[in-house]
Amino acid sequence: MSIIVANALTHRFGRELALEGVDLVLDTAEHIAVLGDNGAGKTTLLRILATALRPTAGRLQIAGLDAFRERRRLRHYLGYVAHAPGLYPALSAAENLQFFCDLQDVSRSRVEEVLDAVGLTSVAYRRADQLSRGMQQRLAIGRAILHEPRLLILDEPDASLGPDAADLLTRVMSGKTVVFATHDQALANRLCPRTLVLRHGRSVGTATHLRVVR
Amino acid sequence: MNPFRVALAVARKDLRSEWRTRELVPALAQFIILALLVGNFGFQIDSRNASSIAPGILWLALVFAGLVAFGRTFAAEREQASLEAMLMTPASPVAIFAGKALAALALLVICEAVMLPALSILFGTPFSGDVVAAVLLATVGMAALGVLFAAIVARVRARELLLPLLTLPLWIPFVIAGGVAVQSAMGLPGNYQQAIGLLIDFDILFVVLTSLAARFVLDE
Repeated sequence: MSIIVANALTHRFGRELALEGVDLVLDTAEHIAVLGDNGAGKTTLLRILATALRPTAGRLQIAGLDAFRERRRLRHYLGYVAHAPGLYPALSAAENLQFFCDLQDVSRSRVEEVLDAVGLTSVAYRRADQLSRGMQQRLAIGRAILHEPRLLILDEPDASLGPDAADLLTRVMSGKTVVFATHDQALANRLCPRTLVLRHGRSVGTATHLRVVR
Repeated sequence: MNPFRVALAVARKDLRSEWRTRELVPALAQFIILALLVGNFGFQIDSRNASSIAPGILWLALVFAGLVAFGRTFAAEREQASLEAMLMTPASPVAIFAGKALAALALLVICEAVMLPALSILFGTPFSGDVVAAVLLATVGMAALGVLFAAIVARVRARELLLPLLTLPLWIPFVIAGGVAVQSAMGLPGNYQQAIGLLIDFDILFVVLTSLAARFVLDE
């Protein structure tokens, strides 16, 4: 079953074309890496797929639902790690997750499991602004998997993660449908059997992993 | 999902963050005291004119403190890029808005707890339950409007300029009704009951309108 069906996704910021006619079909538990230089349109594409940004043109279906008409229904379904961690600096790691448990309608007992999964148990009660950048990124990943989503949209989650990034991401991505933007081609090849390469907002295909070309 | 649980979680999170950082309340309290001092020294205050001048100073200080307090509610979320994470949850935008408004209201009430006794000391005006009730009732509606406009302007660069331009005209009914209520409570002519009734009407009207608008403002 196709989890993501995107047709001709296009987005403009004013006059600037950030994304042009990108198509994407992604099946259940499939992983796809999105590669491209800075400004290639990776973050714009991922924000659209996460329903955080409405495209200027094009259609997007997630799990058979119109992603923008039904986006509130899809919130339980998807987890999103944005480019910036977006944490509350004065709250501890555990408090950040507890807050999102309340918003996701998830039991707070899940916090302990998630902190363990992302390797932050030892700093659970340290304020977010006292965590290293890598730890903050782990916490953002933990927040995205708090409600056990079936679709994960990860925008450069490997940034600052350190040498065990691949192991952590393999654990987190296991059994889920994943769209994963990164600059690290080796990591992308290791984690994702398919690759989408963006250049100037358009998808271009080069690698054997690539299936989506327009 | 229980919207009250969400609103309380958002309010608790904002208040906890303020308690730990102490970014806003000490600065606002200081601003309020300074505004009252300027008013006290700028006018020739005596026992005859204190009751007529004090309400004006009170509302000026309250309006400008409110603009700062409400302006920070969404600006901080935007700066730390946390608003998107919150809006990516299934929680209702109206509940999130209500939580932000509750927290902003609580912070301004804390400032008012400094302002009203200080006004009484500096201007020699009575510190009565009637004055407190009028100020609290006005604060509710002002918080609803202020936080809504703060959400709207948070995404633009000139938000510090836009927030007063959008908010102040709609706060005028609260300042007029609240002004009459406070003047009346301080012994000047005016119908206190009627002014309080108007404040309650405005509160209901603006809380309902802003809650309806919040869904569209935060969802987009």
